[in-house]
Amino acid sequence: MTEPALRRTELRTPHEHDICHPVLRTVDTAGRTTPTATIDHMTTTATATTTPVVGFDQVSKTYGSVRAVDGLSLELHPGETVALLGPNGAGKSTTLDLLLGLKHADSGSVRVFGTTPREAIVAGRVGAMLQSGGLMEEVTVAELVRLACALHPKRFKADDVLARAGIAQIADRKVNKLSGGQAQRVRFALATAGDSDLIVLDEPTTGMDVSARQAFWATMREQADQGRTVLFATHYLEEADAIADRVLVLHRGRLLADGTAAEIKAKAGARRVSFDLEGEFDQAALRALPFLTSIDISGQTVRIQSSDADATVHAVYGLGVYPRNLEVAGLGLEQAFVAITEAEEAKQS
Amino acid sequence: MNSLIKLELARALRNRKFLFFSVIYPAALFLLIAGKADSTTKVDGSGLTLPTYMMVSMASFGALTAVLLGNSERIAKERENGWVRQLRLTTLPGRGYVLAKTAGAAVVSLPSIVVVFVVAAAVKHVRLDAWQWLALTGAIWAGSLVFAALGVAIGYLASGDAVRPITMIIYFGLSILGGLWMPTTTFPDWLQSITKWVPTHAYAALGQAIEQSEAPHTQDIAILVVFFVLFAGGAAWLYRKDTLKA
Repeated sequence: MTEPALRRTELRTPHEHDICHPVLRTVDTAGRTTPTATIDHMTTTATATTTPVVGFDQVSKTYGSVRAVDGLSLELHPGETVALLGPNGAGKSTTLDLLLGLKHADSGSVRVFGTTPREAIVAGRVGAMLQSGGLMEEVTVAELVRLACALHPKRFKADDVLARAGIAQIADRKVNKLSGGQAQRVRFALATAGDSDLIVLDEPTTGMDVSARQAFWATMREQADQGRTVLFATHYLEEADAIADRVLVLHRGRLLADGTAAEIKAKAGARRVSFDLEGEFDQAALRALPFLTSIDISGQTVRIQSSDADATVHAVYGLGVYPRNLEVAGLGLEQAFVAITEAEEAKQS
Repeated sequence: MNSLIKLELARALRNRKFLFFSVIYPAALFLLIAGKADSTTKVDGSGLTLPTYMMVSMASFGALTAVLLGNSERIAKERENGWVRQLRLTTLPGRGYVLAKTAGAAVVSLPSIVVVFVVAAAVKHVRLDAWQWLALTGAIWAGSLVFAALGVAIGYLASGDAVRPITMIIYFGLSILGGLWMPTTTFPDWLQSITKWVPTHAYAALGQAIEQSEAPHTQDIAILVVFFVLFAGGAAWLYRKDTLKA
């Protein structure tokens, strides 16, 4: 845990590395038991003083009659690992395309390190791996990675890039002979060919099996640990939960939620409470319990989703009933996400 | 940009099938057409013997094959599979991709020209002055840029399954109407009055003028320049359109 805390503090002050580094190192080592708290604290203090890595201001993008991105405003800060979460058609890919300058917003402004996306790319500050990013065929993996390194203003050595992406052993293989997972790793290598400050990954683990996925996230974590800001879009919601400091939930081109995975879960009614009641009981009273986000009563069994399970359970006892087989369990981010999305849709219809 | 050009060159030279097709095939076709021809009969209206005449036609045809077929299909494919998008996330300037593609084609078109010359000289005893050989090589190689631009334009215009048939129709149309396979003097008059304006006809005419120790005709050069501007302009326009919607 030392490393993540370390790099985050380094990145809060990107222009003062040399001065701040040793001082912050001691602070971090001391305060490491609650890294999350440290990070959150650092985020808030840093926000005011540094240029955001990415700044979207009221950005909209329409295709025909479809609003892919609808008045989106957000800021990413140095050192954050951010997951962009949303169902298909939520506007994730369009958001990333706008961020990378592959598409132009109809209205609003997109800034990357305070400049246009293209300027940030030319300055070598952004490395990206697109879901739709193809590879040049009929060349070897090593040749392609060498090309990516040569095109990067702050290039790493190709051999190091190959090794770090875990593709050194397939370096001589032709690009068009790779499996889906291997191709993803090559894409990752292209995104990390140089010392970029921001790494953007669009559904990077698509096509990987479970162990490949785990290995991939370990590799990606190294990138974050070196102080880079990482933004990734994903369908694997448990990954957002496990890896991101911050989760942005996108729905119909708008930002539905922005917070830590824990906050997102809380927002959606993130704990599930279930118990059995014997004999007659007052259903209306149960439905009026505090902090409920949903309740399902079938026979003697009551299933509740609550945004504050402690308070809800306390209130259950307050009703004077004797709940048996009481269980309180956390919701996965996936269910939390479904709940948020459904709540939003219910609000709109 | 140089790194991409280098890689495109390496890839082009590594592609055996395509090398065979664009380097060996025109030379083989030359032997097939000019093989039995004697070295005294002149092609109507040109003052050149058939082997000499067909040598330039086939060299032009080879160069056309190299620059047109390879690029249009590859660009269309790489636009579709997202490689073009990935490149846009690098420092590579927009023109870099097209330049690298053109360089990759040019490195294949040069041997396809030279091989036809070597075969013609060795087998059919075509004899020209040293300056003529050099001027021919230079003119045909440089002229192939017109069709390289066309290849790029097609690559940005067509996609998927459409690109191959479209390329083939244009390729055969240009080859036949331009008189690369048989002298246009064998065509009916009405067709000849059209073929005069076909860029491949002007292209082959460059070489034929040099073979007759003449300067290339102004009209042919003008036709090629106009088509180059047209094709390159079209390619640039299509490229920009593609970039905006990508």
